[in-house]
Amino acid sequence: MSSAPGRGHAVRWEAVRFAYDGAEALRGVSLDVPAGTTLAILGPNGAGKTTLTRLLIGLLRPRAGRVSVGDWDVAAKRPDELAARVGYVFQHADQQLFERTVRRDVAFGPRRLGLGDGGVERALGELELLGAAESHPYDLPAPARKLVALAGVLAMEPGVLVLDEPTAGLDRAGRDRVIAALRRRSVEGVTVVVVSHDLAFVAEVAERIVVLREGVVVADAPAGRLLGDAAALAPLGLEPPPAAAVGAALGLPGAPIRVGECAAALGGVRWRGAGA
Amino acid sequence: MIGYVPGASALHRAHPYTPLAIATGLFLMAFAVSAPGAVWVVVAAAALFAASAGVLGTVLRPAAILALPTWVLLTILHGLLGGAPHVMLGPVAFSVAGGERALVFGGRLAAILLAFLTALATVSPARLVEAMTARGVPFGRVYLLVSTLTVVPRLRARVRRIVDAQQCRGLRLGGSPLARLRALGPLVVPLVLSALAEVDEQALALDVRGGTARGRRTALDPPAERRADRAVRWVVVTAVVAAYAWKFLGAGR
Amino acid sequence: MALDAVTFAYPGAGTPALLDVSLAIEAGTVTGVTGAVGAGTSTLLLVAGGFAPRLTGGALSGRRDIATNRISIVFATPWTQLTGLATTVRAEVAFGPASLGWPRGSVLAACEAALRDLGVEHLADRDPGTLSGGELQRVVVASVLAMEPELLVLDDPAAELDPAGADALYALLPELARRGTAVLVATPDSERLARTAERVLVMEGGRVARDGPPAAVLDDTDVARIAWAAGCPAPYPLDVAALVARVVR
Repeated sequence: MSSAPGRGHAVRWEAVRFAYDGAEALRGVSLDVPAGTTLAILGPNGAGKTTLTRLLIGLLRPRAGRVSVGDWDVAAKRPDELAARVGYVFQHADQQLFERTVRRDVAFGPRRLGLGDGGVERALGELELLGAAESHPYDLPAPARKLVALAGVLAMEPGVLVLDEPTAGLDRAGRDRVIAALRRRSVEGVTVVVVSHDLAFVAEVAERIVVLREGVVVADAPAGRLLGDAAALAPLGLEPPPAAAVGAALGLPGAPIRVGECAAALGGVRWRGAGA
Repeated sequence: MIGYVPGASALHRAHPYTPLAIATGLFLMAFAVSAPGAVWVVVAAAALFAASAGVLGTVLRPAAILALPTWVLLTILHGLLGGAPHVMLGPVAFSVAGGERALVFGGRLAAILLAFLTALATVSPARLVEAMTARGVPFGRVYLLVSTLTVVPRLRARVRRIVDAQQCRGLRLGGSPLARLRALGPLVVPLVLSALAEVDEQALALDVRGGTARGRRTALDPPAERRADRAVRWVVVTAVVAAYAWKFLGAGR
Repeated sequence: MALDAVTFAYPGAGTPALLDVSLAIEAGTVTGVTGAVGAGTSTLLLVAGGFAPRLTGGALSGRRDIATNRISIVFATPWTQLTGLATTVRAEVAFGPASLGWPRGSVLAACEAALRDLGVEHLADRDPGTLSGGELQRVVVASVLAMEPELLVLDDPAAELDPAGADALYALLPELARRGTAVLVATPDSERLARTAERVLVMEGGRVARDGPPAAVLDDTDVARIAWAAGCPAPYPLDVAALVARVVR
């Protein structure tokens, strides 16, 4: 996954502070995310992760500091204006579904932005929702509704994608589709910011990881380095994802963190039968 | 603010049935009297009720918002359609008698709103459940009543989340009246649908927790019924009976 | 609890959600259920727990024997499982036993025990509405445990939890089984099922496609995928230790 020049925007938080009713949520956070990067934000509950992302879509305004998406200062724009550049996928996004069919709901965002329906069909195809496109969203099970909400944002073809716990509640197949869709967007140069507890998922999509705790950045490293380092993850209450654990246990070359990389590094290995 | 507001007033500490009894009493009194002056005395009593609970400031705004459209309508209708004598307000002949009637209906509305909003603000849903359970009220009825009382704050949180999500999809708030009307669909439909979708799960969860169990629930912390509570309720009953007796006896004379 | 050739369809549905399902669950065991979305995992839980068709409507054929009526179910989303009538966690947890009409002393004792089991005693006086998703789900499980169920059914209970919270929740299940409770848990998380369940049912299209110990029946943990892609012969190792043991070094 490269930071290819494409339709993404750089995202920047400069010395940002934010407080809820006097309780400080962000205490001077500065982060510079070049266009086309895929960044994962980790941290315990209450660390400020969601606050940080909500600043990007203008749902919250910083008390101090500046947040910018490309050349736009977020403070000067409303959320619906920022929607032209930033696609925000909420954790419980299915509360936004309202149209009679999946296809019409996914088309809602693009229509607001004056885009054609090409993005809609593409998003439905990527998330394997074409078969359900004429169903009523609430006739589908909850995990499928979550994918419909994601499709609705992907169809808006934003230059920046922000996702809050996109794999929570999804089954394996759903997770794989989300991973594939994010990888494809990344190749096109879209900037992706993902908040997630699912380290195996983070390993598959992220290039860079930032860890927040109590409103400050406590770690900022390439994904390959941080996710393979059990000692660095332990104080954060996290464990390396399975692929990284296998790599570490067997001393595999290249310190793989992804399923594909790990399997490739194991190529040529000889196996015992089970129970041997 | 419609809903329970925690506080330390005597009304908050009273048995939950007491503020409800006072509110009902005020409601009945409002209809027992018919002169504008008397009606507005009842309104003053309702305001006093709210003030004694320390919630007058909190309930005035929602009461005004709910009452205002009706007041305007009442004044216009009765003013234009009422009988003689008239007074000239600019080009319009405004009926004095009609104006008085508007004052009476408007006052009744104000008294009822103030009374029940105050009762809502001072009765904690949890304590009401305990009080009703202690009296042996079947749980189904308890739940129905209490859910109705707490529906507004619950919906408000949900509306906030939906507004946020739809804005992020490019929905613009505000703008022309037509634009606002069109924005209602994406806001109201998810509200209803998501609430309905959750009702199934909520009903199941409640059933699992014994909500539909037959037999008597154990009241863990039933609010105390003190002499003051009983005394206040008797005063309310007496006042209402006296007011209606005066009304019917006076009419008969 | 036993099901014998049970077929079940929701009201108005064209196809049955469960087809010819037979299984038996004994006290003191942890049984896992997994499968793709729509394969019937949630329906199996509702039918096994006696909640369908009683509360959902629909048509059920075949035999179902449930030896107890002390059955509780926990869903994935914490906030829809609150009664909405409690202003403290303690009152919320006490709701279940109080509904059963237990004497006050027993209610409070069960409540304290459940709070301790879930490690949420420090939240006892908090308002449930102020808790995070993870804390809330633990309160929900405590609320259900306070009723001392003999059969505990959980539908993806850790979906909203962070890894530490999920680990803690799943670690509790074998402990409950040890105390005699029968536990039935559905989740797409094969890694956790492999660690927690003695037996796993894999659902496909409303039928039980596979039924047995996790190692024999699951093949979609990340480790299993790595092994398969690297040419390891079936059955695939499900966790890191098992994979390392299969590698000839």
